[in-house]
Amino acid sequence: MNKTLLIALSLGISVLATSSMAATIDPEKDRQQFVDFFKAKNPNITPDEYINGAYIYSADKMAQWEAAEEFPPYLDAIDEGEALYNKDLAAYQQCFGSDVSKIRVKYPYFNEAIKQVVTLEGAINKCRTDSGLKPYGWKKGSIAQVSAYLADNARGQKIDVKIESDAALAAYTEGRDFFNKPRGQFNLSCAKCHVDNSGRKARSNTLSSALGHTTHFPVFRAKWQNLGTLHRRYEGCQKNVRAQPYKAQSETYRNLEFFQAYMSNGLEINGPGYRE
Amino acid sequence: MISKLKHLLTALAISGFVISTPITATVAEPSAATIEEGKKLSFSRSKGNCLACHAIKGGSMPGNIGPALVAMKLRFPDKQKLVDKIWGTTESQVVPNSMMPPFGKHGILTDSEINTITDYIYTL
Ligand code: HEC
Ligand code: HEC
Repeated sequence: MNKTLLIALSLGISVLATSSMAATIDPEKDRQQFVDFFKAKNPNITPDEYINGAYIYSADKMAQWEAAEEFPPYLDAIDEGEALYNKDLAAYQQCFGSDVSKIRVKYPYFNEAIKQVVTLEGAINKCRTDSGLKPYGWKKGSIAQVSAYLADNARGQKIDVKIESDAALAAYTEGRDFFNKPRGQFNLSCAKCHVDNSGRKARSNTLSSALGHTTHFPVFRAKWQNLGTLHRRYEGCQKNVRAQPYKAQSETYRNLEFFQAYMSNGLEINGPGYRE
Repeated sequence: MISKLKHLLTALAISGFVISTPITATVAEPSAATIEEGKKLSFSRSKGNCLACHAIKGGSMPGNIGPALVAMKLRFPDKQKLVDKIWGTTESQVVPNSMMPPFGKHGILTDSEINTITDYIYTL
């Protein structure tokens, strides 16, 4: 195994250098290092398994979760998403085409015209406002239901985020820096919890690994008793460390999603998901 | 006066909640009540929440991110070092990327709460 990786593992040092200059960053090298890090940390877990979050770390929890997924609490939400989609079908078809299985996999992507990361939820609401429809709220309810319907139709396809310009690389780099930088009163970064300490427990919550973080969203959480988007979860994690959260769909969170999704390239889309 | 205040405000704006004067460990033998209070503060989710990361005798559902807090006198013969570790002085932050929050430096706990917690932790 790579020697620096071994040292990083034994010291618990972040896998990716914390501060960065866009010119020196190679996303594909980052991703490979990320995957290798988790492989080294848990040789018995294959990369594809990370799409199942923290459950991969406990046979008991996995069994309970698999039982829950057999008759998952998000089924009604998928149906509602389908109804909502069909209600405004003309508008949606104009934006996304007629094949609902080909939509989810295109997001997030970097739009070179506006120099911004576009997320699935962002595209849904833009489509609505462009067609004179009212936009949905950002974190739960209709937006999450439509997103769940599209995710369900894309199940099994692979995350495939592309970075093809300097501007896209800059957005990725911002997301990467955000992920690595400690913040909030507790002085914690996403990386400390979801890379360095993934698999460990904070009280009784096992920390999931950041590899595979975006594959199964939107998520039905038992704690929420409804479906929520990835950015809703970001807000939650930021509040937990007493950091000021950013707004769902803010540029900061879109760049973070872009980075996180890139790290999960090649993994299967398995949304919507169920979590505790 | 005004310029001093302005200076303070700018300093605050830049540093956010970072406070920079560490505290001194208490020397007097703590009372049973202080130790009980320290235990409460350590276990409380909204205060120390040490159990989120450390196993502590008598605490249920501890996390396992940090080492178990046992034999503290043995590991910290100098009580001041323990206070500094919990407070989060720069010199006490030797583990790279540690999850251990700087409780005093970031104003998570008051100085007196940290002293009370230390008194309790020191009995473990
Ligand atoms: C104090 C530790 C901590 C920090 C810091 C933290 N999280 Fe979390 N996060 C958790 C816990 C605990 C959960 C719930 C258990 C799990 O799934 O990991 C969670 C869950 C998540 C999930 C859902 C995982 C799933 O399988 O559904 C995502 C995504 C996530 N965090 C992203 C982030 C990002 C991005 C950051 C930084 C902005 C961050 N977290 C910071 C503790 C943390
Ligand atoms: C979010 C996780 C987290 C929380 C909460 C936390 N700690 Fe820690 N603590 C750690 C980690 C990780 C280490 C080991 C790395 C280090 O020394 O910084 C540590 C180390 C320590 C050490 C040094 C132990 C040794 O043997 O070197 C002491 C003492 C300690 N913590 C006390 C506390 C107390 C008291 C509290 C509550 C007021 C607390 N911790 C809350 C994560 C945490």
